Amino acid sequence: MFLELNQIKKSFGSGETKVEVLKGIDFSLEKGEFCVLLGPSGSGKSTLLNIIGGIDNADSGVISINGDSMADMKEKQLTMYRRKHLGYIFQRYNLIPNLTIRENIEVGSYLSDNPLDVDELMEILGISNHKNKYPNQLSGGQQQRTAIGRAIVKNPDILLCDEPTGALDSKTSLEILKLIEKINKTYQNTIVMVTHNDVIKDMADRIIKLKDGTIRKNYVNENKLSAEELDL
Amino acid sequence: MRNPLNKRLFRELKSDFGKYAVIFIMMILLISEGSGFLVAANSMLFAYKNAFVKYKTEDGNFRISKKLSKNEIELIEGNEKVPVNIYENFYYEIPAEDEKTYRVFKLRDEINGVSVIKGELPENSDEIAVDRMFADNNKLKIGDKLKIDNKEFKISALVALSDYSTMFQNNNDIMFDATNFSVALVHPDVFDDFHDEYLRYCYSWKYCAIPEEKINMHGFSYDGKEGEIPIITPKGRTISKKYEIELSEDLMKEIYDVVHMEEYTPQYMNQAIYFTGEDFGSDAIMIRLFVYIVVMIIAFVFGFMINNTIHKESESIGTLRASGYKKSEIISHYMMVPIFVTVTSALVGNILGYTVFKDINANLYYGSYSLPKFETLWNPEAFVETTIIPVALMMLITWNTLRKKMRLSPLDFIRHNLSKNKNKKALKLSYKIPFFTRFRLRVIFQNSRNYILLLFGVFFANFILVFGLVFPSAIQEYSDEVDDNMFCKYQYILEVPLEVLGSDSKVESMISYMKFQSGVETENENAEKFSSYSLLSTTPKIKEEQIMIYGINGDSKYIDLKLDKDDFVVSSSFADKHKLKIGDKVKLKEEYEDKNYEFVISDIYNYTGSLCVFMNQDYMNEIFVFGDDYFSGYFSDEALDDIDEKYVSSIIDYQGLTKVSRQLSVSMGGFMSVIQYISMFIFIILIYLLSKIIIERNAGNISMAKILGYSNQEVSSLYLHATTIVTIISIIVSIFASSILVKYAFEFALRSEMNGWFYINVTNKIKIKMFIMGIVSYVIVAGIEYIKIKKVSLEQALKNNE
Ligand SMILES: Nc1ncnc2c1ncn2[C@@H]1O[C@H](COP(=O)(O)OP(=O)(O)O)[C@@H](O)[C@H]1O
Ligand SMILES: [Mg+2]
Repeated sequence: MFLELNQIKKSFGSGETKVEVLKGIDFSLEKGEFCVLLGPSGSGKSTLLNIIGGIDNADSGVISINGDSMADMKEKQLTMYRRKHLGYIFQRYNLIPNLTIRENIEVGSYLSDNPLDVDELMEILGISNHKNKYPNQLSGGQQQRTAIGRAIVKNPDILLCDEPTGALDSKTSLEILKLIEKINKTYQNTIVMVTHNDVIKDMADRIIKLKDGTIRKNYVNENKLSAEELDL
Repeated sequence: MRNPLNKRLFRELKSDFGKYAVIFIMMILLISEGSGFLVAANSMLFAYKNAFVKYKTEDGNFRISKKLSKNEIELIEGNEKVPVNIYENFYYEIPAEDEKTYRVFKLRDEINGVSVIKGELPENSDEIAVDRMFADNNKLKIGDKLKIDNKEFKISALVALSDYSTMFQNNNDIMFDATNFSVALVHPDVFDDFHDEYLRYCYSWKYCAIPEEKINMHGFSYDGKEGEIPIITPKGRTISKKYEIELSEDLMKEIYDVVHMEEYTPQYMNQAIYFTGEDFGSDAIMIRLFVYIVVMIIAFVFGFMINNTIHKESESIGTLRASGYKKSEIISHYMMVPIFVTVTSALVGNILGYTVFKDINANLYYGSYSLPKFETLWNPEAFVETTIIPVALMMLITWNTLRKKMRLSPLDFIRHNLSKNKNKKALKLSYKIPFFTRFRLRVIFQNSRNYILLLFGVFFANFILVFGLVFPSAIQEYSDEVDDNMFCKYQYILEVPLEVLGSDSKVESMISYMKFQSGVETENENAEKFSSYSLLSTTPKIKEEQIMIYGINGDSKYIDLKLDKDDFVVSSSFADKHKLKIGDKVKLKEEYEDKNYEFVISDIYNYTGSLCVFMNQDYMNEIFVFGDDYFSGYFSDEALDDIDEKYVSSIIDYQGLTKVSRQLSVSMGGFMSVIQYISMFIFIILIYLLSKIIIERNAGNISMAKILGYSNQEVSSLYLHATTIVTIISIIVSIFASSILVKYAFEFALRSEMNGWFYINVTNKIKIKMFIMGIVSYVIVAGIEYIKIKKVSLEQALKNNE
């Protein structure tokens, strides 16, 4: 298995106000597998994703990637782990406002020893025409494409997407999903995509349903649809 | 109802305690110093002016060679034109060890009263009161013993004499000297026991009756009417200076009719009396400017901080606006913190100003001048200047920042579209430039206003720093230079008896000239005779001052000049100060008459000791109608022991020539070092605040970069190096700019305000020192900021992510 989670637990607060958000999560993914993490708002999806991404710590449990355990990594090593293996896409695009579109993608490419070609990637993403603009001069969809560009330009093993279409209209959402699908096919990255939109699950290889901090369902999607076919 | 938003005031202060603490400290320090200074200066100026009435300061004095007879006194006092009261004010001018000179008076009561700063006036014949400042400078205390004219005295009091607030030993000295010269008071019983050779017959006068219409209602009462409360004017005069000159000139003639004087000094010409008052004004202007500039800098810092907060709270502001909050409510809410900080600092600052800082600043004045004791006066102007104006400046600048931001629509706030021109083209930077460099450039452009303020602040701090650093070195340099091009070790300026020139009787004139000649005859082969005369300069925009004209021998062994009839050679410092070149015309005028001379400069002589002119002696004697053999001084490399001291008016030596620079360092030194520390502090705080603001502003981006896998070093190198680059450039630019500016400002001040000349040169050593000081402060700040960057959490970027 490429990515393995074992008994991941996480709670916030302490004493009376203590909330157990993740109550022991186990699952594993193959390399190149496209997994959708589904669940209602507040069910712990983002928390789980952040733990996988190494920007939050689990209280207990083990995550391993390619057999390397993340448990005993220090901050420095976590940084290196994110640098080498991870791409991140958020609902908010989180672009750096005073860098141009191209430069925002360069922020990603700088991190890799053998990044994808920036200009080619912008072509694929359909934002070549805007490369010299600042993010706030672009539409939400275009900004999200840039964010995707920044995440995948270093060709990460794992792409983590936290509701990437959450702030977009359905037409634009569809385009973004198609893009993610294309990336998955082209570069064979393992993708974990968080959403609370039930429809989106159909394009995944694996569907994991989360509720109240536990996994309710975890199954391989037999009737995988292409993004094109989704009825958003 | 009160705006519920305002409940955040203290939470905001608490949440960013460190930042507000430094701002508070900086503001309080600044305002304390400003208020303390203005209060001290005002109170002391009042005390100084008040002393004219309280201590019955003389209206002038004259010196003669023997005691006036009763009859002569009556003649002078009762003269028809300018009736006066005459008071004996005899003194002994006694040289002592270590080149000290004591001018010893009898305890005085009728005129020129005494302010006892410490101790009790002498009650026994073995007690003495000395000038307070002289005591300070020489570390003398009450009870210490002094040996004067072989008599031992115990210091019983430290005093300030109303006619010696500045220690000018001779009225034509360029600068005062409170280290080697002191006035002193002894008990009448012992006064006559000093050696007669030291005795000087000095008389003070006060005008008897000044016509009502001549008394300036806004000035002091000079006629000594009891119970009149003086109203202060900047110069503290009751009668116009013009009228005072008129009176004193008339009086001079009347006295000459009775007796020949050696010296005649009406009050308005007496540097020992008037010099102090003139120094108060210029310092106060400087401190005001200092306060305002720093307040403005802080206000801009607040402006940036507010901007950051607005960025952070953009969505909430949008929602509030959308739900009906008025622009003005939002504006006043965000102005609350800066105004609270300013008002609080102003109040605390004023309290400290009136208590602690008043004394610190008063001591600076006590360090330069011998001032009477003063009472602290409530100074409403200072309150306005250190409270109302700073608060107003703060309001204006922060309000302006906010008003601009509030032009955006609620929707813009909700969407976080806060940059003013959304359609602004992105600045094109070639993709060939390495990515990190481009990134840093973008950070610099994004924060350009921040950085401009940083540049300005660094410049301001350096400007003050350079002032503080340059003086000691410039003074040393100047002294060395004077030492190098001094043309002789001693210049004896002789006092030609006034009878020689002024008497109506030819015979009397001849006799006194012969007496004089035999008295100043010297055997010393080193001595070389010269003529001298002093005229006033008249160059426009440059302060009128005495220019010494030397008439020198055709083949002088001291001055390397061959002077012909028409030669008029100016010293290099005269040429520098008055911007003169060879071929220029120079107009000089008589000091007390309306008579002008015009000369054409034939050469410039490298001499920095004084502003002077060299001419052919014979020709000079002719022009000024001195007579063929006339001379009035000696150049010499050896001390001349065989001339009668009575005829020596002054001896100009190295000490005398460097008085200007030494005294400047004394009078500016204390004040400068206080300001210097404050500005160093401002420099550090400013860099700290601005780089903090830049980091806070980019906290989301920094966090995001970390999520993407950038290490702390990499993030710092992006966000801190931009600041580093700008700081280093600012430091370098401002070192050079402030050096030039200080030079010009100083030269301007010297030209328009002061006698004498010396130029300052900001040496490379000073520049390097400033650079190192700047860099060291920055490194400290950068260290703190690096920790800050490390602390930016990964969640920061995810906060608005739901
Ligand atoms: N930093 C935090 N501190 C306290 N509680 C948190 C924190 N982050 C998330 N939570 C809580 O954990 C729960 C799960 O949050 P999250 O993982 O963001 O849910 P989802 O992404 O599924 O909507 C929520 O109840 C949220 O309030
Ligand atoms: Mg979430």
